[in-house]
Amino acid sequence: MESLRSRNLEAANLRRQNLASHILTAPALLWLLLFFLVPYLIVLIYSFLTPDIYDIRFIFSLEAYRQVSAGTYLKPFFLSFRLAVFTTLACLVLGFPVAYLIARARERVQNTLLVMIIIPFWTNLIIRIFSWRIFLASEGVLNDVLLRLHLICSPLEIMRTDFAVILVMVYVYLPYMILPLYSVLQKLDFTLLHAAMDLGANEVKAFFRITLPLAMEGIFAGSLLVFIPALGAYLIPQLVGNQQSLYVGQVITYKIKNIPRNWPMASALSFTLLLLVALLLFLMYLAWRRRVLTKRGEYE
Amino acid sequence: MADIRLENLSKDFDGFLAVDDVNLTIRSGELFSFLGPSGCGKTTLLRMIAGFEIPRGGRIMIGDQDISELPPYKRPVNTIFQNYSLFPHMTVYDNVAFALRIRKSPKSQIRDQVRNMLALVKMGDQAQKYPAQISGGQKQRIAIARALINNPKVLLLDEPLAALDLKLRQHMLIELMNIHDAVGITFIYVTHDQGEAMSISDRVAVMENGRIVQHGPPDDIYERPASIFSAYFIGETNLITGEVMGIEDEYVQLRCPMGNGEFFEIDSTVHFAPTLGRQLTVSLRPEKIAISRSKPRAQEDFNILRGTIEDILYLGTHTQYIVKVGELRFRVFSQHKRVYFDEKALDWEEPVWLFWHDTDSWLIDEVPESGSPSLSHDVTNVYQRWVKRQQSNGI
Repeated sequence: MESLRSRNLEAANLRRQNLASHILTAPALLWLLLFFLVPYLIVLIYSFLTPDIYDIRFIFSLEAYRQVSAGTYLKPFFLSFRLAVFTTLACLVLGFPVAYLIARARERVQNTLLVMIIIPFWTNLIIRIFSWRIFLASEGVLNDVLLRLHLICSPLEIMRTDFAVILVMVYVYLPYMILPLYSVLQKLDFTLLHAAMDLGANEVKAFFRITLPLAMEGIFAGSLLVFIPALGAYLIPQLVGNQQSLYVGQVITYKIKNIPRNWPMASALSFTLLLLVALLLFLMYLAWRRRVLTKRGEYE
Repeated sequence: MADIRLENLSKDFDGFLAVDDVNLTIRSGELFSFLGPSGCGKTTLLRMIAGFEIPRGGRIMIGDQDISELPPYKRPVNTIFQNYSLFPHMTVYDNVAFALRIRKSPKSQIRDQVRNMLALVKMGDQAQKYPAQISGGQKQRIAIARALINNPKVLLLDEPLAALDLKLRQHMLIELMNIHDAVGITFIYVTHDQGEAMSISDRVAVMENGRIVQHGPPDDIYERPASIFSAYFIGETNLITGEVMGIEDEYVQLRCPMGNGEFFEIDSTVHFAPTLGRQLTVSLRPEKIAISRSKPRAQEDFNILRGTIEDILYLGTHTQYIVKVGELRFRVFSQHKRVYFDEKALDWEEPVWLFWHDTDSWLIDEVPESGSPSLSHDVTNVYQRWVKRQQSNGI
């Protein structure tokens, strides 16, 4: 009897806790449902409809996906993918040493440095991109200085190139890489590096066998934070890139902005981009799981 | 096999001398401890041997090789770190295999050696677990296996038991001694726990302010402390200051003020040559003193004092009495045995006799500085007060 009663009490407690957690998470769930899932469903539905000059006709069509799979938009996808890979790699290579140095600095210095990383966020993104335009332009600050120093004889054409796009992308997204890297490196126990060196590893080996694997979480998080937005980048290619190489984000925008409008095409491209990201995440998950599994296999 | 020689070794941090001109030879195969309070320089000394600190002056020799400037990964030395520093992203197996993989040993050899090492530390069945999944004592064993697989000439242990609870600490201490016997290499052990150092070591070096104040076998340091610091830091002791009144062969007679204008006399054997009138300190271990209600029969080679019990602290294995003689307080340990001097237990405020053999008082050619430990400022803590109140209330 006693145990039955306590079990009932336990169950009641559990129910109460569940109810409380449901109530607390409801607003966020509702928000996601209304403003994330429902719009995405609309995008998905639109991608299977027929375009009209200004609007859309509710007639089922696979035309948009036929064009995507026929490779009509291969170049924008390739450009966007290349941009995302280059930006992520550059941010990783440039961001890691910075994050490492901040993590190893004294606590007060750490805070100052972190604020310095975050300060650019206080300025509007468009203003920062326009500053780059002024800086990189053929009669801009950079060329002016280089010409005066006689390091070059004619202005470098950097503006409106793919290189300029990557440059500004790296500039904008670097903090998104540094912050997650910092947060894992800051928790890293640096005596582990001493232990590795004590066991015969020099600085380079200690880095690759201890620091890097233990920073993996931050590398993944930072890479996702940079890679995914870079894949759909619109603003930066639009403002510093050229019209010969259009990125997926730009193509999607034009499909909606230019007349005749093509809502289904824009939707199909968006959805394809989403599928690509999902596929990538899935592959990463598989790779990670395989690593863990083969590790276990070694001893059995 | 090679001895380790520390020659004029010193190290400073921003002008603060952490290790000050240390000269010492640690014999091959020895289990040697550095013992001292925190900040005495013992860990810095160990880190210099490991290669994590570069000495400011002097040399560290292993046999004929000067290792003072070598990076840690080129030294024939391995370390057990204070919190083990196991690699959290590797299994127990991978942790132990780490050094061999760095050296690119063949796979089959790695497997065999790791198995042997795990067997040595009795962790063979835990190979696939991650450090987060094993207990503190097990982590300790893995840290030992991971270091020993590298075949070091010297194993450095930096307060290796500090994170374990008492029972486990005692168990691991014996385990460490067994492992030391099994592998036969030099162990250098750093601790602030005098009990650990005494029980495990072949020899102990006591450190204070970056210097070695005394080194030798544990019983030597306990029974024959060279300075007031050694005497006070290791074990408990009574320190009594007095003036040399007479010298006869190896015996010295001291006249000691009781603090209330009166004096008593202490006879002691002596191991150096004092002069008449010199101020010396007697170190008298609490367990050497006998305590009794009845006056002992007068004996030639005994010191006998009369005092009053001020505090009694029951400690299970023994009872600690604080006995007031004049203004001085003596700490006395007495074990609980039926065959003892008194039928009825001694009580608070009771007048008692203290006596000990002349050879049990040890003379130190030093006088306590003001502020340093001596009999007049002795501890009487809150707990003792509380016990006393309970007893006087008849509970």
